[in-house]
Amino acid sequence: MSYIFVDHLCKSFVVRKKREKGVLLREKETVHALQDVSFEIERGELVGYIGPNGAGKSTTVKILSGILVPDSGTVRVGGRTPWENRKEHVSHIGVVFGQRTQLWWDVPLLDSYSLLKDIYRVPEEKYRKRLDELTEALQLGDLLRTPLRLLSLGQRMRAELCGSLLHSPELLYLDEPTIGLDAVSKLALRDFLRWENAEKGTTILLTTHDMEDIVALCSRVMVLGHGSKLYDGGLQELLTQYDTTKTVQVEEHQNIDQVIASMYKNLGL
Amino acid sequence: METQYRGAVLGGLICQTFFGLVLVAIYRAMYAGKPQDMPLSNITTYVWLQQAFFRMLLSTDTDLLDRIRTGAIAYDLCRPLHLYGYYYSRVLAMKMTGSILRALPMLVIAALLPAGWGMCLPASVPALLAALAALILGMFCICALENVTMGLTMRTLDPRGVQALLNLLLMTFSGNILPLTLFPDSWQRAITLLPYAQMLDAPIRLYTGEYALGQAPAVMIIQLCWTVLLVAGGCLLWRANQKKMIVQGG
Repeated sequence: MSYIFVDHLCKSFVVRKKREKGVLLREKETVHALQDVSFEIERGELVGYIGPNGAGKSTTVKILSGILVPDSGTVRVGGRTPWENRKEHVSHIGVVFGQRTQLWWDVPLLDSYSLLKDIYRVPEEKYRKRLDELTEALQLGDLLRTPLRLLSLGQRMRAELCGSLLHSPELLYLDEPTIGLDAVSKLALRDFLRWENAEKGTTILLTTHDMEDIVALCSRVMVLGHGSKLYDGGLQELLTQYDTTKTVQVEEHQNIDQVIASMYKNLGL
Repeated sequence: METQYRGAVLGGLICQTFFGLVLVAIYRAMYAGKPQDMPLSNITTYVWLQQAFFRMLLSTDTDLLDRIRTGAIAYDLCRPLHLYGYYYSRVLAMKMTGSILRALPMLVIAALLPAGWGMCLPASVPALLAALAALILGMFCICALENVTMGLTMRTLDPRGVQALLNLLLMTFSGNILPLTLFPDSWQRAITLLPYAQMLDAPIRLYTGEYALGQAPAVMIIQLCWTVLLVAGGCLLWRANQKKMIVQGG
């Protein structure tokens, strides 16, 4: 069986709306966040997971990390069902949510890291080695004694990545890691992810709206829309398939957002 | 940052000294009008000990509730941690540092005040030791209670309403507003059994000798029972909440 195995995954949420005048009960609406999604990912792959806002990407990541329990379907990650043994499962994975922070706001990075070391029970020697390796790759050396709140967004994202990789997870979920970053930081981040994937064999599932992230990093893309999987395969094929003008090459990055937009349109999103 | 911590300690100290003086003045006035059965020195000691350990009572950790509201709780759930245990130790650490930093200088101030205004010495050395043991048990008890409160408030996204109500109960029945020793006897019989009374009221009574040394084991058994009960209840509540938790947005 593949490293990540997702079969017929369904999840819906009930959204209660404001009661209208003259109506006794509040109206309820069921939002189908995921409808019958299936896919498999092999160990060591770097997969891009894209789709318009509200497509169900984050819901998938949350189910894969054991935070949410799906309505139906089978999920196995490294042979484990994420939500059944959450504690055991999460010690093997790392997560970065681009819009939130996992480190402690007022304390120096080093203190946050040493707390994470204790939480994940990483042996001292292994921790030292890994920390050295990560601080070098992420150029964090000068920042280790700085409190998180004094870091810029780009520095913070690098610090977050370091925090989520300290325990050498087999699998890393990245939820919009390049959001709000400048060109230099983005490039540095991509280099690092490529390195981590190639050197350490970490499986990476990347959620993003930045198509250049996908072009730069992923050979395989999954497209999600309205809770269903619409495409799964190579990036080049995806682009030629949905390129309305038939002229755009993947190398010409300027137009990639337009291609994706036309693809979403063609798929009826 | 350090300035901020020092400022907080100093500000708290001044505030608690002021409150303590006002309360003692009120009780002195009350005793001047109509003396109660309880000796005044017991009441002033009660007031000062309450003020010294004020930080133990008040819940100041809004972090978890913020994390739930903003969805940052997702990160906590991505850790190989027992969520209840993690937050219990957090609360315990905050209460301990908060009260130790404040209690020691407060006790010195209270001891320096003139007789009739300040604090008296413990009934005996064994009474002091019993009070200390009861204080530690009380600390475990209040942390467990706070986690139950948190478990209840977790269910609403904006917890201020529920929390205000629960804090009123806490302040009243822990003896912070009015020493429990001044409640009518029939009330006291019930109130002293509540978990609120286990936190500070019981250790203070052991200190002043109002609970004789022989009563100490019984007091501690009640404290222990509440702690076990509240921890168990809290764990169940948190587990149920965790199943229902839906992490918003992002």
